Amino acid sequence: MSERTYEVPKPYHDAVMHWQKHNFPDYPLLSQTWEKYFPTDQPFCLCARIQESIPDVQPVGAHAGEPRSLRPAELEPEAARHLLAIIRAQASTEFGSIQQHQATLERANDDQDKMWVLRVMAEELRHGYQMIHLLTSADWSSVSDAKPVDMVEEILSMRTGSHVLAAFNLEYDSFVDNVIFCAFIDRVGKYQLTMQKASCYRPFAASMPPMLREEAFHLATGVIPMRRWVEKAASGDPLITMATLQRAVNKWFGRGLEMFGHEAKGHEIVALGLKDMANGEAQDAYIDECGKMLDDLNKRHVRAMEARAATVDEADLLRLPHPRFFRRRGEPAFQMIAVDGAPFADVDAYVRHLGAVLPEAYLASRDVKHYVETLRKLVAGQITIKDAIKSTPHLARVGGACPCSNSVRWVVEDAA
Amino acid sequence: MTELDIESITQIDERVTGTYRPEVWEDRAAYYIRRDPDSSQVAEVDGTVVGFMMGEVRGGEFGMNEPTGWVEFFGVDPSARGRSLGRRLLEALLAHFRERGAQVARTMVQEKDAEIAGFLSAMGFKPAKVVPLERRPL
Repeated sequence: MSERTYEVPKPYHDAVMHWQKHNFPDYPLLSQTWEKYFPTDQPFCLCARIQESIPDVQPVGAHAGEPRSLRPAELEPEAARHLLAIIRAQASTEFGSIQQHQATLERANDDQDKMWVLRVMAEELRHGYQMIHLLTSADWSSVSDAKPVDMVEEILSMRTGSHVLAAFNLEYDSFVDNVIFCAFIDRVGKYQLTMQKASCYRPFAASMPPMLREEAFHLATGVIPMRRWVEKAASGDPLITMATLQRAVNKWFGRGLEMFGHEAKGHEIVALGLKDMANGEAQDAYIDECGKMLDDLNKRHVRAMEARAATVDEADLLRLPHPRFFRRRGEPAFQMIAVDGAPFADVDAYVRHLGAVLPEAYLASRDVKHYVETLRKLVAGQITIKDAIKSTPHLARVGGACPCSNSVRWVVEDAA
Repeated sequence: MTELDIESITQIDERVTGTYRPEVWEDRAAYYIRRDPDSSQVAEVDGTVVGFMMGEVRGGEFGMNEPTGWVEFFGVDPSARGRSLGRRLLEALLAHFRERGAQVARTMVQEKDAEIAGFLSAMGFKPAKVVPLERRPL
């Protein structure tokens, strides 16, 4: 289980630290409070961690049984292209989640919950750093004209709204989102990291075990506060209700499903030896796991209700939205399906349904506005489903967005 | 062990002790998950968690600097006993301790818990050259 740690070259390290100043200003608080909230835990280290002891041979794909590749040029060009896209998307998610968490971190009403999320954010920073290490420590010129310095700048210039995956382009409405995100979206992260552990590219596969060990705590950072909130909800605490949690679940679950990619696709990624499960298979396992999570939360809530000799209302219990509800990508994209799976034929009725089951603060967001406008155009025949799916946020260059003179761009010039 | 085992562990503990203590097990699970999530183990029968064992490798306790695998909390659902689950849980935990560089495992057992003491003895644990002391009342 031994690990080797790496720091990325100074210009990139400086760029990450500069990004942190703008996007993660609470980062220094972690080291100041570490001993109070995580006594005797290994101090946090912003570094890339590579597990040394992983199997030498590829476990899946057309080249299963052959040695893992050590350099991108050793991979089939198609595999290398897909892998590069996966690493860039992974990096985008890591930095993107920090931007989302930071906005509402201060609104936590419990110091421990806040410090747990702060640790999660720092570890996401490390995961992003890990991806930058993978991008900058290898020669990707066989499959990309982009220089490493430009790839790093592109990743660090993304903002909430311009990240690769939709889940990382949603603003948080409150600290409830911080917690629900950890429980649902980090769970997708766990699946992706687990699948990527099978990668035919050794440096990528060996990056996964240390990330997975940290991801385990991220899931606990979601589930354990939720367990305590459902207990509080049972006590009649007016400040946290099951309905609040249900609405947040409705907001995030579909975004989590979409992170797996189209339900019917992903087999080529397995054949190329990059992951060991196709999208639909992984998505089904995720749905089952989320269902178990909500079952456990409901048990906790029911026990707390019973302890008060209160009557449990079945309607109060948490339930997963139907997998086709409120989707904008994948096979069910822009179909008007209710949380319980019932189809709608009328757009206005469906929009009213969304208004009834999504968080109130979220309804006024640009994200819901974009969804509803796109849905209306689609139903009116003004755009195709392909156009509708493509219109969702996607990778966009926002270079030079740094507001101070010592910018990310400056690092690019320094490296050149 | 993962965060999704907490409810099952709480229920096993309730069946053994007669007390429902979710907060206690949430705190304990969070501790082990954040420090070494691969260490603590659960046993499943037909997809249901029926046993758990929590522990980790630490060094420096009580002046004993060698990396030590500490076996700290365990329980098996009474309905699942007699299937050698405790043995298999402990073997898995000890294997992890070895992977993490420990050469010794330690635990403590109360005198009244003869069944646990018998289990540990059967698993090769022997009285250590450490004297547990206490001051009561404090």
